[in-house]
Amino acid sequence: MTTASQAATAPQVYQLYIRASQQEVWDAITTPAIVAKFFHGAQVESTYEVGAKLRSLSPDGSDIWGDNTILESDPPRRLVHTWRSLYEPAMAAEPESRVTWEIEAQPGGFAKLTLIHDRLEASPKTAASVRGWSYILSNLKTVLETGEALPPRA
Amino acid sequence: MSLYARIVMSVDDEDLVFKALADVTRRQLLDRLFERDGLTLGELEAAVPQLTRFGVMNHLRVLEEAGLVVTRKQGRFKHHYLNAVPIRLIYERWIDKYRDRRAAALLDLRDQLEGRK
Repeated sequence: MTTASQAATAPQVYQLYIRASQQEVWDAITTPAIVAKFFHGAQVESTYEVGAKLRSLSPDGSDIWGDNTILESDPPRRLVHTWRSLYEPAMAAEPESRVTWEIEAQPGGFAKLTLIHDRLEASPKTAASVRGWSYILSNLKTVLETGEALPPRA
Repeated sequence: MSLYARIVMSVDDEDLVFKALADVTRRQLLDRLFERDGLTLGELEAAVPQLTRFGVMNHLRVLEEAGLVVTRKQGRFKHHYLNAVPIRLIYERWIDKYRDRRAAALLDLRDQLEGRK
């Protein structure tokens, strides 16, 4: 029988088409100035090489939001990194989960982006919180297609 | 040109999402995946016992074409995941816009009542 905690901690899969090339999508997710536009203004820092740290800070630099590690890096196709939500103590106490970005070139000048957030089995609070990927990814689409970010979420 | 006036999602994509959502069985399947993501066809069949396996497969195909369900193969089984991104795009395109307009109308009303206009 399924329990509520199993239900909440299944892998999460997000997928969308973006009117941009595979390389443009890769560049957007690995360029700090662009990440800031679609990811709540986060200041990120990484070389995006395997084993490198992927650190992110709040927009004013006063809070640590993430201190993750790059697990796989295959530009412009695939990026895998650990995830721990350090911005909230209850989530920071949960085990590390994993985020995989897959970018596929599509005919007609589109890219298909699939984001998988998994290894959430022991991290129910994080699992509930990262449902917000939909907002982040639609924001990324808007940034790439129009050059502007959406207004902050009400 | 305002951000929301730009085409964030193509009209064809929107059609597919609205059509996919305009069916009670397909909404039941999405609700089931919301409760528990990553189900196989067999597990989803149990959520809609009134349907044949063929019927469930047809509905899942419509949901997949609309991008509301994404499938991933793991070993022998195909798992179905609820993809919330198309709903988010519809929300931004159709709901946020009208909510903003209503909020603006309320602010105008307040200004009038307070004699500012």
